[in-house]
Amino acid sequence: MLSLPALCVGTLARRGILGTASMRAAHGHSGHVATQEDMSVPRYYDKRSFPLPDVPFHAQLGTEQKALKEKEKGSWKQLSNEEKVALYRLKFNQTFAEINRPSNEWKTVLGGIFIFFSFTGLIVWWQRVYVFPPKPRSLTDEWKAQQVKRMLDMRMNPIQGFSAKWDYDKNEWKK
Amino acid sequence: MAHPLQLGFQDAMSPIMEELLHFHDHTLMIVFMISAMVLYIIMLMMTTKLTYTNTMNAQEVEMIWTILPAIVLITIALPSLRVLYLMDEINNPHLTIKAIGHQWYWTYEYTDYDNLEFDSYMIPTQDLPNGYFRLLEVDHRMMMPMESPIRMLISAEDVLHSWAVPSLGVKTDAVPGRLNQTTFIVTRPGVFYGQCSEICGANHSFMPIVVESLPLQHFENWSTMSS
Repeated sequence: MLSLPALCVGTLARRGILGTASMRAAHGHSGHVATQEDMSVPRYYDKRSFPLPDVPFHAQLGTEQKALKEKEKGSWKQLSNEEKVALYRLKFNQTFAEINRPSNEWKTVLGGIFIFFSFTGLIVWWQRVYVFPPKPRSLTDEWKAQQVKRMLDMRMNPIQGFSAKWDYDKNEWKK
Repeated sequence: MAHPLQLGFQDAMSPIMEELLHFHDHTLMIVFMISAMVLYIIMLMMTTKLTYTNTMNAQEVEMIWTILPAIVLITIALPSLRVLYLMDEINNPHLTIKAIGHQWYWTYEYTDYDNLEFDSYMIPTQDLPNGYFRLLEVDHRMMMPMESPIRMLISAEDVLHSWAVPSLGVKTDAVPGRLNQTTFIVTRPGVFYGQCSEICGANHSFMPIVVESLPLQHFENWSTMSS
């Protein structure tokens, strides 16, 4: 009984469909391949809470880029828009807008939750049909009506509770 | 007894239960306020545009969120202790009734004057008359005079039980070999239901307690007739 689903999960897992990496890739979090980073030197990172990383994104610059950095040392008014953007991209990998971009992950999460809810609902339904014993005889409408009458006659909870909501003069529930 | 889908307490039928209702209102109000504030803060945390996460010092807010909870706790503790001590007041009972728990029924003994003793078994559902309360009715109710302080001595013959009647604000464990005392006054005539409140075996859910309070004259008539 346990072997069948385990087999299916095995094949799917090998295809990487169920893996977290593929789930994250489906929502635009991909491209983060794990390599061996040297953690003993300052490194670049994109983080909301650390807006100014210790090192620039592109540490090694080509000839054109070096020329641009020299131009940056002068007045910034002589830089064109594209040059400013290029300088920014040398220093930073993502803009704040890109770091904080929303994803569609919530739809997957909510969808998964609903799938589990419905599966549980099916199980509960099956239980009601095949497992539950017959209801006690005190749950028929007739019995419940007699029970209510008895509770009112006995003045159950007459101050703020049950019988307090019944109008004994007019023989009806209070409006 | 409770009605279906009831959320709150049953109406108070003794002064101590009234005190407990008021205390519960007071404490629940505080709990709601704290929960609303926490929910609001969570919502703020999830929708902020601020990004700095390395706060080091927060002396003023630390003072506030230490002193304010202490004040809240004192505000809850003072009424709580008041009710606790009220429960232990000396009240010179007019009558002593013993309730002994067995598997799975109660025995009530009225031994102040005559030797009145009887068992109280639950009425099984198949024998229940129409409209009666399933799993709550018993064959012999515990009768008592209203507006009189009553002393209950609760014990058990075999295993742990617990004698509980919510509308009177009473719950006392029945421990074999031990007498536990509780006192209360029933302010109104009526029938009050409770259930055994300590797991005691297969029929733990099927040994209810039914207390019927009567004016003194009727109680004395019953007592004379029964003994």
